[in-house]
Amino acid sequence: MKDFFETWKFRILIAVAVFLAGLMAYAAANGRLTAAPQELLSVAVSPFQKVASLIGGGVSSVWDKYTSIDETMEENETLREENAELRRQLVDYDKLKAENEAFKNLAGIQEDNPEMSFVSAFVIGRDALDAFGGFTLDKGTTQGVERGDTVIDDEGQLLGTVIEADLTSCRVLTILHPSFNAAGVVSRTRDNGILTGDASYAAVGQCIFTDLSRESMASVGDEVITTGLGGVYPANILVGRIVSIEPEASGTSVIAVIQPDADVLGVKQAFIITDY
Amino acid sequence: MESRRKRRRSQLYKWGLYFLLLLACTVLQTLPGFLQFGQAKPVFLLSLALAVAVCEDEFSGALFGAVCGLMWDYTAGRTAGLLALTLMALSFGISVASQLYLKLTQTNFALVTAGALWLVLSSDFLFYYAMPGYSNMLERYICYVPLTVLLSAVLAIPFYRAVSWISTTFKIDNGVI
Repeated sequence: MKDFFETWKFRILIAVAVFLAGLMAYAAANGRLTAAPQELLSVAVSPFQKVASLIGGGVSSVWDKYTSIDETMEENETLREENAELRRQLVDYDKLKAENEAFKNLAGIQEDNPEMSFVSAFVIGRDALDAFGGFTLDKGTTQGVERGDTVIDDEGQLLGTVIEADLTSCRVLTILHPSFNAAGVVSRTRDNGILTGDASYAAVGQCIFTDLSRESMASVGDEVITTGLGGVYPANILVGRIVSIEPEASGTSVIAVIQPDADVLGVKQAFIITDY
Repeated sequence: MESRRKRRRSQLYKWGLYFLLLLACTVLQTLPGFLQFGQAKPVFLLSLALAVAVCEDEFSGALFGAVCGLMWDYTAGRTAGLLALTLMALSFGISVASQLYLKLTQTNFALVTAGALWLVLSSDFLFYYAMPGYSNMLERYICYVPLTVLLSAVLAIPFYRAVSWISTTFKIDNGVI
C-alpha cells in the first residue's frame, strides 16, 4: 500500500481530485452548475431518463395503488361506477393522447394569453436529495428554454421556474423552495406579498405568502396569483388558495400558507413559458 | 495466459457493462416516484461506485467513483464536483479497506454502503439544509436519511452481485496461480 502513494496512478488520482476541486470552484463562482461536463452529461442521460420515465409512469401508478390500498378500498364503490365509464373512454389512452389533452388546455391558456409562447415538456427526473420537489424536464435550450423561464402545469397554474437549462433538458426550482421568490397578490383583496417556499411546509406540498399586511382582509380560501412585478414572472398566473394565516415572527406582517393549485410534488407534464 | 488482444477486449466489455450499469442507476435513481417511501428514495449511484471499488482496484474504483459522483452532481443539481470528490475519496478508501481489512460478503458490503451513504447524506444535509437555516430540518433528517440509507443498503446487494459477476467473468487471466 505504501508503494501505491509513489506510483503514477496515485499522481493521476491527485490530478483528478485537483481538477474536480477546480471544477467545483468554477461552478460555485459561476452561478452553480452550467458547465461543459454538465451539458455533456445531460445529453447522455436525458434520452434514458425519457424512456424510463415513460415506463416508470406505469410502475409508479401500480405502486401508488398498493401503498394507498385502504383509501382505495373506501373509494372503490364510488369509483366503480365512474371507472366503468372511464374505461370506455380511456381504452386507447396513451402518451400521445395525454399530450393532446394537455395541448387542448394549453389552447385555453393561449387564448387567454395570446402574447405568451409555450413549450410542452414531460417530467423525466426527480432526485432524492431535493427536499423541495425540484424536477428535470425533457426540454432544453435547443427548444428555446432559458434559465428564468416560468413553468406552469397544463391548467396554467404555477409550478416554478427554470433554474438551469441544458441542451436537451432543464431543471426546475419549484414554488416550494425557499430560494423561490415571486411577487404575488390576493386576487380578492389585492393585497401584495412575496410568494416563496418554506421547509416546514414543503414536505406537504405547501408554500407561503409573506409580507402580507396585518390589516389585510385576506382569508382562508382566497386565490393568490402573480402580479408580474419585476418582470420575472408573467402576471395573473394562478398559484393556489390560502389554507391558513399565521403571524410572522417579527409581528409586523402576517404569513399566508398556500396550497398550490398545481400538484408540485407529483406533476408529470408541464409547460414552459418561453416568451410573454 | 490470454493474448493481449483478448485481454483488451475483455476489459472493454467489462467497463462497457459498468457504464451501462451507471446509466441504469442514474435513471432508476431519478425516476419520478420509483420506490419512494414518503420523502425517502433509494440512492443507487453510490452503491454502484462502491461495488466497483471493492471488486476492482483502488485506482479504477476511485476514477469510477468520480464519474458516478459527477453524474449524481448533475442529476441532483449539486455544485459540480462536490459529490464527485466525495465519492472518489470514499471509493478509494473503501477499496483499500476491503483489500486490507474487510472480508467481502454481501452483508459487509451492505453495511459499508449504509455507513458511506449515511456520511454523504448527512454532509449534504449539513451543507444544503442545516447551514442555510431552514426550519423543521430535524424532521426532514429523521424522515429522509435513515429510511434512504436502509433502502439503499438493501438494494445495494443486487448491484454488488452484478458487479462481482461482471468482474469475475471478465477477469484477466495472467497465468499466475
